[in-house]
Amino acid sequence: MDWKATLVACLKEKGVPFVAYVPDGATWQILSLMQKDPFFHLIRCTREDEAIGIASGTYAAGSRGVAFMQSSGLGNCVNVLGSLNVTYRIPVPLVVALRGELGEFNIAQVPVGRAVRPILESLGLHHFTLDRPEGVEALSRGALDLCYSGRLPVALLVSTLLTGAKRG
Amino acid sequence: MDRFEATQWLVAHLTDQPVISNLGPATGDLFVAGDRPLNFYMWGALGVTSAVGLGVALATPDRKVLILDGDGSLLMGLGTLATIADQAPKNLVHIVWDNSQWAETGGQPTHTATVADLAAIARGAGVGKALRVERLEEFQEAVRRALQEDGPWCIVARIQERGRKGFPPNEPEANLLTFRRALKSS
Repeated sequence: MDWKATLVACLKEKGVPFVAYVPDGATWQILSLMQKDPFFHLIRCTREDEAIGIASGTYAAGSRGVAFMQSSGLGNCVNVLGSLNVTYRIPVPLVVALRGELGEFNIAQVPVGRAVRPILESLGLHHFTLDRPEGVEALSRGALDLCYSGRLPVALLVSTLLTGAKRG
Repeated sequence: MDRFEATQWLVAHLTDQPVISNLGPATGDLFVAGDRPLNFYMWGALGVTSAVGLGVALATPDRKVLILDGDGSLLMGLGTLATIADQAPKNLVHIVWDNSQWAETGGQPTHTATVADLAAIARGAGVGKALRVERLEEFQEAVRRALQEDGPWCIVARIQERGRKGFPPNEPEANLLTFRRALKSS
């Protein structure tokens, strides 16, 4: 199984059917696999904080939801993560495709890319970086367990080492 | 119409439907009108109330789910109207208390005080059953229909702001756990 299918299998194994997303080229490699699986209910969103809000609502209703976004979009999520997820203890796994790091061509991606980990850390949220195919299963499964036991969002940061850098 | 009066009427006509209320007046009046385990009170995340309600609706397809939003919050998250229309949950009833002001921060006028028409914006986003109501009787008629007929519905209720009646305890984590347990068990 390739790393994308492994991540999808982990979400399925942990019972996370709702997938709210703002797409990018990297996360679409994963989302397009989920589109073919009737277990998943995909929700295209207009903003990343909306995606987290929807995923949070599915948890409040007794189910589970994940939010997919690009690193730039995490910058739109500081308030919702703080005033909803941390305040109410609503666990939502975040799958964040990293821009502004290895192989980046666009200077506009660099500042928020650099801010991703400090943003998460300042809110007290764990993050793990997926950068090697052989690590994806253990990190994904472990992060999902931590997310739901700790009842807080946990971020899986997906490196361009896995997805390939966008070339302009 | 008066928001508290409309909220009291609404709560009296609910059974097992979850309600998600926007921070400030919507949450305060809902609590005073009728605290219940199926009320989810927002305290922050302005602009995201309708998204949370949409998530609850998608995960609870077998019963109606109500959102008590505000004009200020919906204006911050207008894109969610498009997402609601795109997902088209039949069970979603999105009520917007439109007082044309950010009441919780001192009553500064919002865009609906001048030109913005939230029901028209909802229709433009693809929410076919979007309407604007001015009087309590119109509100009651719209809600009766929305609880019976397939949605998604967006009911923009024009209200005179008279101040919220109170506040629930500031215990969000307890509220989340109670709400979640109530939905899972009922």
